[in-house]
Amino acid sequence: MTVRFFATIRTYTGETERRLDDAPATLRELLTALAARYGTLFRRAAFAGADLNPEIIILVNGRNVLYLRGLDTALSQDDEVSIFPMVAGG
Amino acid sequence: MFGWTGTTLRVDLTKGTVTREATDIGLAHTYLGARGMGGKIILDEVAPDTDALSPANKIVFSPGPLTGTFAPSAGRFEVVTKAPLNNVIAGSNSGGAFGPELKYAGYDALIIEGKAAKPVYLWIKNDEVEIRDAGAIWGHTTPDTTDLVRAETDEDAKVACIGPGGEHLSPIATVMNEMHRAAGRSGVGAVMGSKNLKAIAVFGTGAVTVADPERFKTAVMKARKMIQEHPVGGTGLKAYGTDVLVNILNQTGALPTRNYQDGYFPTADKIGGESLAAKQLVRPKGCFSCIISCGRVTKVDNPAYAGFGEGPEYETAWSFGADCGIDDLDAITKANFLCNEYGLDTISLGSTIACAMELFERGIITAKDTDGVQLTFGNVAAMVEMTRKAGEGEGFGAKLAQGSYRLAESYGHPEYSMTCKKQEMPAYDPRGVQGIGLNYATGNRGGCHVRGYTIAIEVLQNGAVMDPRITEGKAGLDITFQNLTAALDSAGACLFSTFGIGAPELAEMLSAVTGVEYSVDEFMKIGERIWNQERLWNLTQGYTTADDTLPERLLKDPIKTGPAKGEVNRLGEMLPEYYQLRGWDDKGVPSKAKLKELSLN
Amino acid sequence: MAKVLMIHPDKCTGCHNCELACSFEHEGQFRPAASRVQAYTWEREGMTVPMMCQQCDDAACVKVCPTGAMHRSVTRANLVDWDERVCIRCKMCTVACPFGNARYDAASSSIFKCDTCQGAPECVTFCPNGALEFVDDEQQVRSRKKAYAAKFKDAFQEVS
Repeated sequence: MTVRFFATIRTYTGETERRLDDAPATLRELLTALAARYGTLFRRAAFAGADLNPEIIILVNGRNVLYLRGLDTALSQDDEVSIFPMVAGG
Repeated sequence: MFGWTGTTLRVDLTKGTVTREATDIGLAHTYLGARGMGGKIILDEVAPDTDALSPANKIVFSPGPLTGTFAPSAGRFEVVTKAPLNNVIAGSNSGGAFGPELKYAGYDALIIEGKAAKPVYLWIKNDEVEIRDAGAIWGHTTPDTTDLVRAETDEDAKVACIGPGGEHLSPIATVMNEMHRAAGRSGVGAVMGSKNLKAIAVFGTGAVTVADPERFKTAVMKARKMIQEHPVGGTGLKAYGTDVLVNILNQTGALPTRNYQDGYFPTADKIGGESLAAKQLVRPKGCFSCIISCGRVTKVDNPAYAGFGEGPEYETAWSFGADCGIDDLDAITKANFLCNEYGLDTISLGSTIACAMELFERGIITAKDTDGVQLTFGNVAAMVEMTRKAGEGEGFGAKLAQGSYRLAESYGHPEYSMTCKKQEMPAYDPRGVQGIGLNYATGNRGGCHVRGYTIAIEVLQNGAVMDPRITEGKAGLDITFQNLTAALDSAGACLFSTFGIGAPELAEMLSAVTGVEYSVDEFMKIGERIWNQERLWNLTQGYTTADDTLPERLLKDPIKTGPAKGEVNRLGEMLPEYYQLRGWDDKGVPSKAKLKELSLN
Repeated sequence: MAKVLMIHPDKCTGCHNCELACSFEHEGQFRPAASRVQAYTWEREGMTVPMMCQQCDDAACVKVCPTGAMHRSVTRANLVDWDERVCIRCKMCTVACPFGNARYDAASSSIFKCDTCQGAPECVTFCPNGALEFVDDEQQVRSRKKAYAAKFKDAFQEVS
């Protein structure tokens, strides 16, 4: 699985993407593992308490997880996950 | 009057006369300013069958009642006229400092009529107004024009001007102000060119007054806090600019690629806001009264594309980038600088070059047509060279400067022009995001994102979320955005203040400034009225429900690769409900009841 | 504790909120021409620099003032104050200030110069970018000096 980081998320991770040989079963597990790896700033960006931070945008294969199953979204080996802070433009 | 100055300036370039008029109070209260006020003036004073490039067209420069105050990020103005590109009421919005300066000079609107016998510029210093010879300035780029005009007027004058693009009457010509800000769409620059009006210089030492200073300051402090605490309005846009959108649209699978032939561009990251911040960005920039500072002061060191200026914005990085199959941000930035200097719309020109690339790859045009240039997708040098040629009006560039609809039609293939009502669509593929497609199709000025920016909800999670892939609820979403934006534009506020505040805060600031009580409902109604008015004008121009559509490609050809592979836009599921919710008949004509409700009969 | 109004032009984005805040506070209306702070923009270089009275210890305006209207405040630290009651509007202060930070406004018959708004400068409150800072004189350059010190820290961390 490939996880891609964008905008300020990159400043928390120090990299633009990470490949994982073993996909975690759910998004919650993935984010928890990434938070353990990258630290507090990442964790605060991803989580609001035990919930998904409303100011983070996470796409799995281009679909916002809010329309899938949120933190309980199941992940599989060939998924592509993209993590953005809230961004905008015009 | 508070907020408004109470004075409108009318300049007749044919007669060489300048008249000061009292701003119509009813007009001000009902239409606010900028888009609404300018639009009503055009509707009332320009006969529908007027040729947009004839002396009978008029062009209005109008700030809003908030413009010139410290309402956060509310220093904007509009250039309103009958559009050379597509005959609609063009309302092209710009920031910078020109709008506030018009207010300090004492004006709610500047109406320009007729045509000067020779090139002229206007010099407005408070209540002294002169029409001056611009013979030595005609032909210059917009930065040079700005300097030349200032040398003859005041070194701190704010200057709105056209470049060679407007002089050549290109239907995609812009009016530039402060060198780097653009009233970009629908060819408003060509109207100035057709009047032999090269520039307007303004210097104002007066004041904008407020009805209830304490109430206003309280409302402003609250609005500022809301914007500053918003991740986008507060930090994101300042850090990365609008170009930050490249990656999220691409990861959504809705970044139009190679003239909308696809929706995913594998090397998009090279042209996104993150790359721009790392490589070309010098510092952020803010318009007058802005607390967001999304502007990018940029520099290209690469000698092939060296330059200094502002931009690119997201739309520009897309149009000269993914849409042309190009991932060289230096070259894209250079194309952006050239467009600013020549005064051409970056969205329309980039998309037109992409259209030409498709025509070339399909063999519909050949190197014989394109001055020997291999105009294929991904050809970076060709893209930059064609941009320069379009600005110069040279060779094939002259055809490009006509916009993609006229270009493609001249070769018998208008279906390759990615336009709605002849105006190029911007950087969101409606096959991946359903609601923005409805906005493109129903847009009063044609392909446009800003006037109904459903992307904020469909992709960006700004306050609410709606699945971009569904059509349910999109009609209502589009209408809300279209109405709100029309009112916001007319107040002089910047669209990006909605990353933080909404109608309640805008209505409160407007009420405190003007002393006229605007409820949220009334504020939205103003927007709804303006939208319907623009629609009524379009009916007089022969626009029908048949024009509320998208290019066939977006309705029939699925996206080929990426996360939205297989999707098309399902406009047919949204349009009937849109008409119905708007109170229009099934041909999209506003009903008598609706017009009565809006006092438009 | 003396406070200093510190300018950081590198952080200025050219928004002019300082001018708006100043004129609104002093005049009750938005008239940047009346602002005591002026932000000048150079479009070709994409840079804006705000300028206001620096409350000189040895102020030229105080030296030349014939009536003492321009004087160092005895009640507030680090302030050159203007007493309009004794000012004869001779405008010698505007001639003397080498920075152009005092000017005569004919419309209101007054001398416009920064007075730090009773110790809570509005321009500082309204600047969205931290380009204006009202800071204890001891910490005046801390943010700037420390920002550059951080670059050395990062450089040395890489090699040691």
